[in-house]
Amino acid sequence: MTKNNLLLWRVLAVLCAVTLIAAACGDDDDADVTTAPTETAAAEPDAAEPAETPTTVGDVVDDTQDGDLLDTVLDRGELNCGVSGSAVAFSETQPDGSQTGFDADYCRAVAAALFGDADAVVFTPLTAAERFTAVQTGEVDVLIRNTTWTQSRDTEVGMDFGPTTYYDGQQLMARESAGFSGASQVADIAGAVVCTNAGTTTEQNIADAADAAGISMQLTTFEDFDQVTENFINGACDVITTDGSALVGRKANQQPAGENWVIFPATPISKEPLGPTYGQNQSRFADVVNWTVYATIIADEKGINSGNVDDMAASPPDAEAARLLGAADDEQQSNMGLAPDAFRQVIAQVGNYDEIYSRHLNPVGLTREGSANAGWLDGGLIYAPPAR
Amino acid sequence: MTVPMGDPAATAAGSVEPWAGEREPAQKPDEPSLSAGEWLTKNLFSSPVNALLTVVFSLFVFLVVRGLLNFMFSEERTWRAVKTNMRFLFTHAYPQEQYTRIWVCVGAIAVLSGLSVGLLARVGGGISMKKLSMNLMGTGAVIALGIVLREPSAIVDDEGLALHRDVSEAVGGSFAGWLDSNAFTVLAVLVLANVALAVWFHRQDTYLRGGPEPRIAHGALVLASFGVLMVQQYASGEVVRESFADAMLDRAWWWLAAAALAGAGAALWIGLGDARRRHTFVPAMYVFFAVAGVMVLSSWVYPWGHYGFLEGEFIAEPGSTVAMTTKLPWTVMLLLLVATYHLGRVLRAARAGPKLRVPLNLLWVLTPFVLYWAVLRDPDLDWDHVLSTDLPMALFFAAFGGLVMWFLAHPRIGEAGRVIAAVLVAVAALNWVAAYLGWYPMLQKARISFLLLAVVALLAHNFAGDRSQRMKLVAAWVATMAVFHWLVTLVNSPSTVDTPTDALIGGFGITLIVAVFTLLLAFPMGVLLALARTSKLPIFRVLSTAYIEVFRGVPLITVLFFFTLIFNLFLPQSMTLVDIAGATIGFALFSAAYLAENIRGGLQAVRRGQYEASDAVGLTTVQRTLFIVLPQALRVSIPPLVGQVIATFKETSLLAIVGIFDFLRIADKVISAQSEFLGVKREGLLFVSFIYWLFAYNMSKHSQRLEKRLGVGER
Repeated sequence: MTKNNLLLWRVLAVLCAVTLIAAACGDDDDADVTTAPTETAAAEPDAAEPAETPTTVGDVVDDTQDGDLLDTVLDRGELNCGVSGSAVAFSETQPDGSQTGFDADYCRAVAAALFGDADAVVFTPLTAAERFTAVQTGEVDVLIRNTTWTQSRDTEVGMDFGPTTYYDGQQLMARESAGFSGASQVADIAGAVVCTNAGTTTEQNIADAADAAGISMQLTTFEDFDQVTENFINGACDVITTDGSALVGRKANQQPAGENWVIFPATPISKEPLGPTYGQNQSRFADVVNWTVYATIIADEKGINSGNVDDMAASPPDAEAARLLGAADDEQQSNMGLAPDAFRQVIAQVGNYDEIYSRHLNPVGLTREGSANAGWLDGGLIYAPPAR
Repeated sequence: MTVPMGDPAATAAGSVEPWAGEREPAQKPDEPSLSAGEWLTKNLFSSPVNALLTVVFSLFVFLVVRGLLNFMFSEERTWRAVKTNMRFLFTHAYPQEQYTRIWVCVGAIAVLSGLSVGLLARVGGGISMKKLSMNLMGTGAVIALGIVLREPSAIVDDEGLALHRDVSEAVGGSFAGWLDSNAFTVLAVLVLANVALAVWFHRQDTYLRGGPEPRIAHGALVLASFGVLMVQQYASGEVVRESFADAMLDRAWWWLAAAALAGAGAALWIGLGDARRRHTFVPAMYVFFAVAGVMVLSSWVYPWGHYGFLEGEFIAEPGSTVAMTTKLPWTVMLLLLVATYHLGRVLRAARAGPKLRVPLNLLWVLTPFVLYWAVLRDPDLDWDHVLSTDLPMALFFAAFGGLVMWFLAHPRIGEAGRVIAAVLVAVAALNWVAAYLGWYPMLQKARISFLLLAVVALLAHNFAGDRSQRMKLVAAWVATMAVFHWLVTLVNSPSTVDTPTDALIGGFGITLIVAVFTLLLAFPMGVLLALARTSKLPIFRVLSTAYIEVFRGVPLITVLFFFTLIFNLFLPQSMTLVDIAGATIGFALFSAAYLAENIRGGLQAVRRGQYEASDAVGLTTVQRTLFIVLPQALRVSIPPLVGQVIATFKETSLLAIVGIFDFLRIADKVISAQSEFLGVKREGLLFVSFIYWLFAYNMSKHSQRLEKRLGVGER
């Protein structure tokens, strides 16, 4: 046997020993077994993932289909809420990165109900294209992103919808100087240049409405509504159309001095009920979201607001208010897996429906009076089942 | 053309004193400076056709510049939207109270840049005084031109709204009004006059003689056209504008800047003699320091205004200087840069430079990882776990791997070394199979360390040699393990930075992070793919070709959509790939294909003789590739590589489309949706374009300098 071969055998012997040690090491690491799967993704700095990856498997429980979403969220201590991040008055991203708006406040309300802390929300701004995928992959727990409740989304897309928080509908806007008024109808736009943003249902709706009215018009589409408004101001468009809430916002902010823009018809040409959306078959979580919304509506009916909620909890006006604020023994919040005072925290930290609405939507010119968003006692559609 | 080469060959080989042969850059043959008039005659009015082209294109430039300036300074622009959102545009929702971390990152980059430039830049190089003074005068002249060309500001009422007038009455009467209604005719007449002049001078052979008449006559007509454009705008539009004198007075600061620049340039030009002007060089960094210094100084002196958003309130103080939280850090950054640059110069003079070069380059590669995971994310380390598991494991791998390396780099190990390495690879592979099948549990980190060990073991025999050589390999291994385990620990620790959204950072920050990590990932991949594609083994060749052709045939946006939206649906439930990681991987896979093709071009440019020579001296394939072929191939492919780097940097704007809040998306969608700035979009887009241009332009300039230093295209 040559010297080289001897060396080879010695080396192989050492290697065998090393392999044994390595295997033993593996056993030692049993306690860390949980770290293994996620670190495939996390443990490769070479793979350059400039992102936060979950630490250990302990943090990453199945939170998509099988596990109970409510328990997962409660364990996590934070609500992942999908918003738009660029919808005026609904979810605006402010210059410091914070989210404000009607939708953003409903995220806070749900967090207040879950954790007693309205700030325990992680906002995920989503585009229209990725919003449903984000719910399906569990990236967000709930989607409060001006999403219209439709049959196909409820069934085929696999979403479940909560109570409608804002009844929107497509309307048209034109200049008063061009002979339009609040009483104008779709039939009056015959021959006009009508502009809207491309690739949305608004395009289809206006075409259908024009057909129904038996008129012809010239439909022009743009990439987004900023461009549509810009062209309306320039005079390239006679009439623009999108959801009424957006039109009111544009009118309040961008109407030039000396012009008067009018929004018509009074009855919108489409129904756009907007509200919270979540994945299918998560009843317990859905209950929390739904009843958070109902709590803000009931509080509004009973005149409970963020200013007087503590007094109201101390001396409730009626038995329903007592139950809702957690001041009565027969309160239902505990059965939902929440703290008894969950909804009291919602009202105290975020406010009732009217407060949330007025805070964000009044400044852009949207008022409740006379609209579908008035309370049911005032002729609107905002209605909640009884809390008992 | 033969360029006096000094001894760049010796420099390239890195044999003795790499920088010993340093000298001034090769000079062009001496040509005395031309006077302004001579220059104009020679370059702009040398023939009738050239004179007309000059006239027409100056008119075109006037129109474009006027349009851009009027757009930028129009009273309709809400620049406050950009100013208020400045921090938001650059770092998105990164919390204010943690902002020191951002500055630490900027500072680290400043220190590294200063050191690198100081250490690597040539001593005699830089910008000639002639070029400097010409640029100064040119900048001054352009600013002056802009001041005059821009329309006067609108007269506003008490509420800040522009006064309007009836268009029909404005056009009557005044000279400006007449000019406005007849602007096209007047300009056409002026151009026709130029044509007539050209024909006339041509007949007289004035162009051939090179006399001053053509440039004076054509120049006067160009100035007349300029005047028409300037005066005409007083009457155009419905907005009432202030008088010319008032407009010029309002721009006193700009006049001052223009005069200062042009004056400084002229003083240099006149003060220095012709020869000194052309042969005295200022280091390029000093020019940069001067420009940056003026900008930083202006933040202390000039009332740029203070705009922001703090605790739900908008801040708008137009009369004040920039906030202390902005001007102080930038001042510190500039001082850091100046200090480290000079430190680099000192080190270089001390001849410590060559030794520091490699660590400095390694530091550049390591910095993005450290800055992102250790500084920006502020990891919350679990010390019990670190002491009980992370540290012992790192020590074990360092010690065990060190021993293996020491052994495998033995000069006489021969065939046995390869067998051992192969066995190690087999064990490492078995480890991964075990992980997949769930046979025996082990920290993933251990598996990766073992795989690294096996790969390095395969290469170890290339470093076989005497004691010191072997020690180097061992030291490199230990250092790798230390860095690797430290980084993995950081990556696995949760972040303590609390932002209101799910993203740690966004805006320009994410643009930079994604671009940098994409390149760090794509570059090695590209090299490997290029080597595989030129390999003799058909399996490598086919796989690599297939990969490259697939990725080059698919649009980038599709790849991005796949990795950010769809890929997660394929992953096991316990794993998620966050958007930014997905996007980075998508970008990297895509760029790697393009980089690979660029590098393949470089590989093919390496002459056969180089391969044969390295075979002749008995190098192994790995040694030949690493030390002979790749360095030459990469040097040749610098221009296309930089082109690809710039393209990747700009392509990151596609992040906006896949829903990541990058620079472009914030400017395009988010600012225009803030009720405060509803519909304000053009300002942000213009600003974003400017920043992209600034970075891309600097990269391209840097690559030109690199090409010059490495002599690409010359030898």
